[in-house]
Amino acid sequence: MSVLVAAERSRGHGAGRSVLRPWLPRKVAPYLFVLPFVAMFVAFSVYPMLFTLRLSFTDWRGSGAAQWVGWDNYAYLLGNEMFWGSLGNSAMLWLMIVPVQVVVGLLVAVLLNNAKLRMRSFYRIAFLVPFVTPLVAVAQIWVVVFDQNYGAVNGLLNLVGLPDVGWLTTSEFAKPTLALLFLWKTTGFIVIILLSGLQSIDASVYEAASIDGASRSRQLRSITVPLARRTLMFSVVLQTLAVFQMFAEPFVVTDGGPYNSTTTAGLHLYEHITRGDLGTGAANSFLLVIVVMGLSLVFVRLLRTED
Amino acid sequence: MTTRTARPARIRAATTRALPTALGSQAFLLLLALAFLAPVAWALISAFKPATQIISDPLGLDLTALTLDNYRRMFADVPIGQGFLNTAVVLVAKGAITIFFAPLAAYAFAKYRFPGRDLLFGMVLITLMLPTIVLIIPLLLEMKALGWVNTYQALVLPGAVDAFAIFWMRQVIADVPDELLDAARVDGAGEFGIFTRIVLPVIRPALAGLAVLTVMNIYNDFVWPVVVASSERMATLQVVLSTLAQNITGNRIGADYATVTGELLAAASIALVPLLLVFVALQRHFINGILAGSVKG
Repeated sequence: MSVLVAAERSRGHGAGRSVLRPWLPRKVAPYLFVLPFVAMFVAFSVYPMLFTLRLSFTDWRGSGAAQWVGWDNYAYLLGNEMFWGSLGNSAMLWLMIVPVQVVVGLLVAVLLNNAKLRMRSFYRIAFLVPFVTPLVAVAQIWVVVFDQNYGAVNGLLNLVGLPDVGWLTTSEFAKPTLALLFLWKTTGFIVIILLSGLQSIDASVYEAASIDGASRSRQLRSITVPLARRTLMFSVVLQTLAVFQMFAEPFVVTDGGPYNSTTTAGLHLYEHITRGDLGTGAANSFLLVIVVMGLSLVFVRLLRTED
Repeated sequence: MTTRTARPARIRAATTRALPTALGSQAFLLLLALAFLAPVAWALISAFKPATQIISDPLGLDLTALTLDNYRRMFADVPIGQGFLNTAVVLVAKGAITIFFAPLAAYAFAKYRFPGRDLLFGMVLITLMLPTIVLIIPLLLEMKALGWVNTYQALVLPGAVDAFAIFWMRQVIADVPDELLDAARVDGAGEFGIFTRIVLPVIRPALAGLAVLTVMNIYNDFVWPVVVASSERMATLQVVLSTLAQNITGNRIGADYATVTGELLAAASIALVPLLLVFVALQRHFINGILAGSVKG
């Protein structure tokens, strides 16, 4: 509608202008259009990237002259227990989060993909509520709900006669509790992504399969999973990036404790900054990039070669 | 959607057999949905309970004892009004930049051939893959060098022209028929006029999705604001919130656990309600926004 109106309007006074040279030549226009992006990109992405790279080979505490130390920062990190520990914590969290999320997410998406399902839009809203609420707010709610002495979760356990659990105060439970927060917060988003993959599958494929007598679970295995593989792969890569960069959740909920059991790779990186050890922090950034990109490539490869 | 009128008898039989599974899936979805809503609902309700009751009886609800004390104390204790104001300023400025300049760049990438285009778009793709955390240290130093620490510029400009937004809008604009643009050109429309008068109106549904997603991201953004603008005057809503939580995890000396918990739930409630309302009101745009943005990944 508005297009027609717009076109009509430009026709009105266009007749006289078309013979004149346009004020913005067609060859120049695209450069002007990308200019704001390029300017900000160079200022706030390219320049900082190159700066980090240089910084990672120096010893610098934020003031004075930076001292060139070659590969020392990298060597220090690669031999450092805390660095490996933080990667290990992130890997453990990944194991607790991503497989669960893919299975539950796919199950929910398949159920929601049924047009005859009652209360479909209620479910879509309900599952997305944690995703749209501010992370800091929900992380705080987590702190209160999972409190060992006064929390609602232990209150529920006591109701059925179970003892208190130190959800955030013991190193065995802190990680799963954090993983649960992440699962709760982001599974709705994954459901929507997987749903988009399912909706791109033609309904006639399923109709043909049910006429041939294929059971629901058989259909899930033989049709849904293979055809939705692209979307599955996308969500696995997305969540891998997110888990290894996880920062705000442990920062607010556990501050990395108890006994560093929830010091994620992202939080560890931040600790270098707060200590003012910027050279090591920069080197840690790049090691983390290498890990994350490597993992992403592995998953892309794994999920693709099965075709 | 699909019409399923005259179905063969065999399929109808299969549907009847599927009835118990349908009930099962309803029960499963309902339980899961309640579990997803419970923490937020619990916080919204508990914020109105007397602070001591929140911790002595976290599951109970005494309707006669409901109070606004937690809110009153929280407002007195932390600069949450200032936090809202700062978030609003950043939201308007950064949101406007993203929603205008990302489609503009995307338009050039989608509809023009020019030397350097592929190189520039390659940069967009690389930015998409880079963990944002890598840029935090150097960006902070850059902000220090510019004297921008604890300023609105620092909160608004970095990340304002988001690579994901460009990537997504390029897909959307590529689907706008060239004939439409050429017709406007023949009629004498300038290159920029084509963008504002043809492209933007045509892609309005996707723009709405982008707007909702952008608002959500900016409103919830935490890492960059806490690093670059944590002073009391510049703290955004999320940063103000995080200081309250640290009073608990960091064992603020002398802080009464019940009081802080009450304040915390009040603050969390007040922070999540605006976004929740926006989300429920614009739910369709939002979901379509995510769907349209993610399939291409």
